[in-house]
Amino acid sequence: MKKSEGLGVESSEKVIDAIEVSSLTAAAHELKSPLALVRQLALRLDASDVSDEQRRLIQQITLTSERALRLTSDLTRVARLGEVNDALFELEPINPEQLCRDIAAELAPLFEAHGRSLAVSHRVHPLLLVANRDLLRRIIMNFSDNALYYSQPGTAVHMQIQALTKAGTIRVGIRDFGPALSNDMWRKLQKKLRHSPQAIHARPQSSGLGLFIASQFAEVMNGTIGATRHRDGATFYVELQASRQLSLL
Amino acid sequence: MTSVLLVEDDPWLAELEADVLVGAGFTVVHSPHAPSAIAKIDETQPDIIILDVLLTGSTAFALLHELQSYGDTKMIPVILCTNMAESLKLEDLKQYGVRRIVDKTTMQLDDLPAAIKAVLGNVM
Repeated sequence: MKKSEGLGVESSEKVIDAIEVSSLTAAAHELKSPLALVRQLALRLDASDVSDEQRRLIQQITLTSERALRLTSDLTRVARLGEVNDALFELEPINPEQLCRDIAAELAPLFEAHGRSLAVSHRVHPLLLVANRDLLRRIIMNFSDNALYYSQPGTAVHMQIQALTKAGTIRVGIRDFGPALSNDMWRKLQKKLRHSPQAIHARPQSSGLGLFIASQFAEVMNGTIGATRHRDGATFYVELQASRQLSLL
Repeated sequence: MTSVLLVEDDPWLAELEADVLVGAGFTVVHSPHAPSAIAKIDETQPDIIILDVLLTGSTAFALLHELQSYGDTKMIPVILCTNMAESLKLEDLKQYGVRRIVDKTTMQLDDLPAAIKAVLGNVM
């Protein structure tokens, strides 16, 4: 049994207003420098003669700082969504399966360090969707990061691409296998995302900031994000328009 | 030997980057901010400049404008090494002598030596 609901953020119910976004962005900028320095120092240490246990710890520092840097980068990107001349914002036909494979390869060391893995479900007939490559990549990275921390050790997080029955929509989902969301948690997830990011607890210890970021990125691509609850975990997904180039395949 | 002017206001990061560059065979002169960078450029005539963007005091852009004001300094290639890489476009900055942008948040240790070699060729 599973339950699903879109998590689109209505414009009148923005979870973070402009001032809050501005503050978050300023904080993200300030955090970037020390985080980048921590990562560089860890890389330098990793290149030196250290024991296996020390190297394992150094790699954890590197991976953790990279995770934090991704978050700061996402926050500064959210702030730039409103810029009139955002030349980096271009929509194009994208093969989401290939993008997922690239992301899975990039995140493999992080997942491996946590005793988990990432798998991409293969489609015989590839689907194309219309998106901004950078923003879609950030959404999938975000969901994958979320799945990493809520999946059971030894399990694989699955990336799945589906064509929905509602015409012209493609769903990219990130399925984790971990503790089921309680009814109470599920209701809060559905309800509170629309109102206050501080109150979102999609999962224990989650601030909901990642969901907010993903919803902002999806919205500017005319897409939506959502979640499906399973008995043994959850799927977080983004839905976007299918590319018309699909018919040429 | 290729001389590099490293303009970086974080002393720990500057030390780390300088160590990597020296290890790769470059001569490195460090400046923590734009005004001292101008003085060092006059003194040492570096072959290339590695420049952070958000510096204490004047930003890198003030320095880039200054460099473009003089015939000798405008020819010095510049590599930006910054946390703001994703907000910058190389095409927009080429007119200021910027030849590469290195993202501090994702760079590996050997990215700076590799960027210098890519800009100058494999001349040491």
